[in-house]
Amino acid sequence: SFKMAARRRLKRVASSQPGFLSFKSPSDTTASVGSRRKRVNKNKKKNWNKYSDVNDVDEFLEDIRHQERTTGGLLSEKTDDRILDSQRNHNHKAETPQADEGKKRRGKASRPLRIDLILQPDSLVPPPKDILAYQQPNAKKLRRIAQKAEQLAAKGVVPRKQKRLLNRRPVDKTVKKAVTEANNNPDRDYYDIWGQVFPLWESKVSADPWYLQQTGKKLVKRPEKLNEKPSVLPAVEVIAPGGSYNPDFFSHQALLQEAHQVEVQKKKQEDKLERQLAINKEDKATEETNLREQVEGLDNDEESAPSKEDEEAALAAIAVPRKSTQCSGEPQHLFIFLKVLVKFRRLKPGAFSHPLHLPANPSAFLLHPILFQLRSIKASIRQQEEKTKSKQMQRRAKQEAQKVQPRRLGKLKFQAPDLDVQLSDELAGSLRQLKPEGSILKDRFKSFQKRNLIEPRERAKFKRKLKVKYVEKRAFKEIT
Amino acid sequence: MGGIQKKKYERGSATNYITRNRARKKLMLSLPDFRRLCILKGIYPHEPKHKKKVNKGSTAPRTFYLLKDIRFLLHEPIVSKFREYKIFVRKLRRAYGKTEWSAVERLKENKPAYKLDHIVKERYPTFIDALRDIDDALCMCFLFSTFARTGKCHVQTIQLCRRLTVEWMNYVIASRALRKVFLSIKGIYYQAEVMGQLITWLVPYQFSHDHPTDVDYRVMATFTELYTTLLGFVNFRLYQSLNLVYPPKLDSKAESELKEVEEEDYAMNSESHTEKLSALSSSLARVVSSEEEEEAKLDQFPDEEEDMEKMEAREKEQKQLETQKKIFEGLKFFINREVPRESLAFVIRCFGGQVSWDKSVCIGSTYDVTDETITHQIVDRPNVDKQYMNRYYIQPQWVYDCVNTKMRLPVEDYFLGVTLPPHLSPFVEEKEGDYVPPEKLKIMALQRGEKPAQQQDEEEDEEEEEEEEEDENEEEEDDEEEAEEKNLKKMEEQRSQGKSLQVKVTPGKVKAENRARLEQEEKAEEKRLAIMMMKKKEKYLYDKIMFGKKRQVREANKLAAKRKAHDDAEKAKKKKARK
Repeated sequence: SFKMAARRRLKRVASSQPGFLSFKSPSDTTASVGSRRKRVNKNKKKNWNKYSDVNDVDEFLEDIRHQERTTGGLLSEKTDDRILDSQRNHNHKAETPQADEGKKRRGKASRPLRIDLILQPDSLVPPPKDILAYQQPNAKKLRRIAQKAEQLAAKGVVPRKQKRLLNRRPVDKTVKKAVTEANNNPDRDYYDIWGQVFPLWESKVSADPWYLQQTGKKLVKRPEKLNEKPSVLPAVEVIAPGGSYNPDFFSHQALLQEAHQVEVQKKKQEDKLERQLAINKEDKATEETNLREQVEGLDNDEESAPSKEDEEAALAAIAVPRKSTQCSGEPQHLFIFLKVLVKFRRLKPGAFSHPLHLPANPSAFLLHPILFQLRSIKASIRQQEEKTKSKQMQRRAKQEAQKVQPRRLGKLKFQAPDLDVQLSDELAGSLRQLKPEGSILKDRFKSFQKRNLIEPRERAKFKRKLKVKYVEKRAFKEIT
Repeated sequence: MGGIQKKKYERGSATNYITRNRARKKLMLSLPDFRRLCILKGIYPHEPKHKKKVNKGSTAPRTFYLLKDIRFLLHEPIVSKFREYKIFVRKLRRAYGKTEWSAVERLKENKPAYKLDHIVKERYPTFIDALRDIDDALCMCFLFSTFARTGKCHVQTIQLCRRLTVEWMNYVIASRALRKVFLSIKGIYYQAEVMGQLITWLVPYQFSHDHPTDVDYRVMATFTELYTTLLGFVNFRLYQSLNLVYPPKLDSKAESELKEVEEEDYAMNSESHTEKLSALSSSLARVVSSEEEEEAKLDQFPDEEEDMEKMEAREKEQKQLETQKKIFEGLKFFINREVPRESLAFVIRCFGGQVSWDKSVCIGSTYDVTDETITHQIVDRPNVDKQYMNRYYIQPQWVYDCVNTKMRLPVEDYFLGVTLPPHLSPFVEEKEGDYVPPEKLKIMALQRGEKPAQQQDEEEDEEEEEEEEEDENEEEEDDEEEAEEKNLKKMEEQRSQGKSLQVKVTPGKVKAENRARLEQEEKAEEKRLAIMMMKKKEKYLYDKIMFGKKRQVREANKLAAKRKAHDDAEKAKKKKARK
């Protein structure tokens, strides 16, 4: 209501005045004239608010505010020359840019530029203030906290946060964390590990054994068996004397002979395989057999019919095997065989029954022929013992021999490397012209395998998971 | 009766073994890691006696390990390091994939690493154990040190191997431990005696590698990893035993001499020290400044006579060894550029010689070709333009042969352009009755201190003839005896027939008694009796042995005859050529 009153008053004051210029033409007045006034009782505040038309007042006030904002006061209150002045300025700017400016510049350098003056805001309304730029949220609380901290600091009490920081161990940036250097560092240092104390185990050896056992820190003993070597072969097998760069004639020949033997063995194996894989020539189809196969069953009768002699011969051929089967199956032959067997048994009593199978009845024992066989029994026992002994010897020898042999440790068998040999014409006369044979790396690798340190292995083959599909692109297809 | 039914494969060998794959799963490692672990810890696959039982009825070929070994592996701290490394690789790959370079940097800084010191200590509880197994380590290190730095293995590994081998060679030089050298077509075999252990190793010729494809480099690198650690510790201990400074330093005297030479021509400052060490031309610094070493004499315990004899023999041996160690002492060698420098320098220095080479060949040369005091120049080309009067020009084989025969051989056979005598393997030890090539016989004769080569042949022939004569003499004597016996028999017959004997008295001859012969006869008789008294079984064995020996002799004779025929043929050829 206060607002309303102010509006009314201003309207009355300003618009009633004779020199008032409004920015807008009074268009809405005509609109209001056209409509018929509605009668409303204005004895109620609600109706007042609803039906009284305040547009013109609002517009007027807006206009005033606008003028104050942009021109620095009401235009009507301004003197004429000031208004003209500003308008003239607008006109002159384009017309006389340099002529008078040059003159003015010289004498009065200190005076502000006219353009600056013009551009100076002459609005009466001050720009709005940013309150938050001056205010601090929670200022009071913060102030109080700061005061408290000051008080405590005066007493010498350190806050907890600071205390924690102070208590933290200082981190020395210059000293790097001790990094275990790589094993193959060429400048690594060595020390005496076989001395009195081995530094890595010092704590484990000196500490209380009960404590170590309970905490699971005890040194695990290496099984004794692991210190045995898996093969009796020496680490470095020196090449035969024939492998000298300037060998003695005979030792060289011996080495060549050895290499030759190996090659012959290989060749034999290959030949054998070839022979086994070869096709029998008789199994091969010839024209004749092909023809016979095609004609099979067709003219069988024709062929068999013409010659009776052939037939007879064929019959005879069938008859012969039949006869032979008859003979072997005859009971007479079996009888003879059994007779011989019985005779043989009589001659050699120990041959089919064990000599120590004694009869159960002791009286029968005296009569039993076994009494008279004691000597032969003894002999047979001795024989047996000798046999077992010789077998034992053999077995032991075999075991000894196997110690030198590489064991079968995996899918593949150990394959001995080729002998390193230089033929007589390859031998160099001097050390300078010597061309080394074979590779030591391979030699070492094979030696590890031979001594059962690693299992023989083949290099893993590359396996493609997905099939590669080849497609000729259409663009190329046209060209090719 | 009754009881719990026994199930198959729940006891016995089936439970003692574990297949490789199961072991790998138990340890939670990938196969390559498992392999590495096994190699490092010295756990090898084992072939069971009854494969089918162990394999639970299946006959599929599998690799087996002993279960106890695998259980032992479970305690190894390195296993966790392997896992850490696996995770490190995964993280690194991820960081690379996301192009997070700072993360890559950080990860690389904290790359997990492990040490093998404790494994070496565990596998070789004493120093001697380690020395016994050093052959392999030396071979591998020498091999890897000659690799080109092309990415077949880490460059650092190659450098470390080189360092260790140089240290080893310097030790062998300082202790004069080298015994045998053999130049083979494969490489050079060396044998040294270190603390009573014979150690053999193989060194490849330089620049001789073509990398074979069927060798697993990862496995070899793992072996090398272990062996470099082992060799380093062994080197340390050996240097300690000789009072040498470790890591090795050159003698201050030698160093000052070497400094005069412009170092920068050869290597950067950081590398020049190692390069100088690897030149092998100067002695090493000692912890206690080098005074004349007191010659350690064997302690004497005058207890029993037998012991005394043994002691004397041993002392003699010791003396011999001492002289053998000094065969090149006082000689000054110069190595031409076409000769393998490192090997020769190593061998010569091992036996007390002084050695130098051309300045442009390598760092560390101590004198020039023009030095008048040089006694031997080693050359491996048909002729040399400018020759000095007061030195021998010899081929490199002379040095090696001298080492093998343990004496200075006559130089004539090894002059320039002369066909060399064969280089015999010092690793062959002939038993009694084996065939020995005539060259070796000659050398053996030389060792015994007999006359030099050319007269030797004739002498041998003469000896043979003499022997033959002796044989003949023996036969004659036998004949005489037989004749006497016949006479006696006749007389007896006559007596039995009752005839009067024709008795004659003739003046007796004094029989010359040959004492040595008598003794021999006695011994032979004893032997025969002993053979007669043998049990049947022993006799059988004896016969077998003798048969074997005879066969050997026969074969040796055959070879000798062959050789003679060969030589004769050669001679004939030569004669023809001369005509």
